[in-house]
Amino acid sequence: MSFFSIFKLTIPVLMGYIPLGMAFGLLLSKLMIPWYYAFFMSVFIFAGSGQFLALTLFASQATILEIGIATFLLNLRHTFYGLSMVSTFKKFSWKKNYLIFGLTDETFALLKTNEIDEKNKEKVYLIITALNQSYWVIGSVTGAVLGNILPFNYKGIEFSLTALFVVLSIDLYKKSKLHKPFFIAVIIGIVGMLGFPSEKMLILSLSLAAAVLILFRRNLEDAK
Amino acid sequence: MQSSYLISGIVIAVFATYMTRVLPFIFFAKRKPSPLIRYIEWNMPLMIMVILVFYALKDVKWGQYPYGLAEIIGVLIAIFVHVRFNNALLSIIISTVVYMFLIQKIFV
Repeated sequence: MSFFSIFKLTIPVLMGYIPLGMAFGLLLSKLMIPWYYAFFMSVFIFAGSGQFLALTLFASQATILEIGIATFLLNLRHTFYGLSMVSTFKKFSWKKNYLIFGLTDETFALLKTNEIDEKNKEKVYLIITALNQSYWVIGSVTGAVLGNILPFNYKGIEFSLTALFVVLSIDLYKKSKLHKPFFIAVIIGIVGMLGFPSEKMLILSLSLAAAVLILFRRNLEDAK
Repeated sequence: MQSSYLISGIVIAVFATYMTRVLPFIFFAKRKPSPLIRYIEWNMPLMIMVILVFYALKDVKWGQYPYGLAEIIGVLIAIFVHVRFNNALLSIIISTVVYMFLIQKIFV
């Protein structure tokens, strides 16, 4: 498989990662965070919604523990991707560590939907992951640098985060077999937003959601 | 924002994200995950995402003009565009542009 044909596979991700990365960078610059943090976050975290979440948490001065727990829970869906890759990656060399690190939603989707012959698999997977990450890094750094230069009224751009969470909720709702957890989360979210102290809202709501999910498992799974 | 806060926040986010990706390779290389774990993995992300929507709206002043109207309109537009066109980027851009217009020009 030539480099160009691998590149062609990644074009849909390019189209998504550059603008979304730029939105992330713009938001970061609006929080008065220096641009190089965008670079380090995109190189070392490499998780779209996770990085947006980090910005939200930074802006509200969340504690380090909250950042850790919220990021872990938000990205928990990645364990799924890992699960279905365990047997494939097992045959690869140590370089699979980069593949595991770079297993984002979009990379996973590409790896799973394209048939690649066994002989070249490891190399092709590595190139796909590296290309995807490079789009994400380029987009986010460009956004962060532009945000400092462009004279533009960014007031309200933070709404892109709310919109991102709305969009991801809809996507997950559509994929979900059980729909009750969605409505429970809406109720918990409203109660939390209006009733919980602002700085504890996230942690309290998430713990409540996890508790309800586990305690009422039988009720939730029964009635679909 | 303090750089020590930012750096420790980023380090913990790096660690937390990496854990979610590497855990299955550590724990489930040999045995299968329990049904409870699978159940939590299937259902928790949706609940988190929904809660994050409300978390992002927690500083809206619902009792004062314009009573969170810009946020409500923005969210409804994001839902509508996403259900109609199923394109994440389009939904985010349109709803954010409308929201920015509303708070900069209409509800000033």
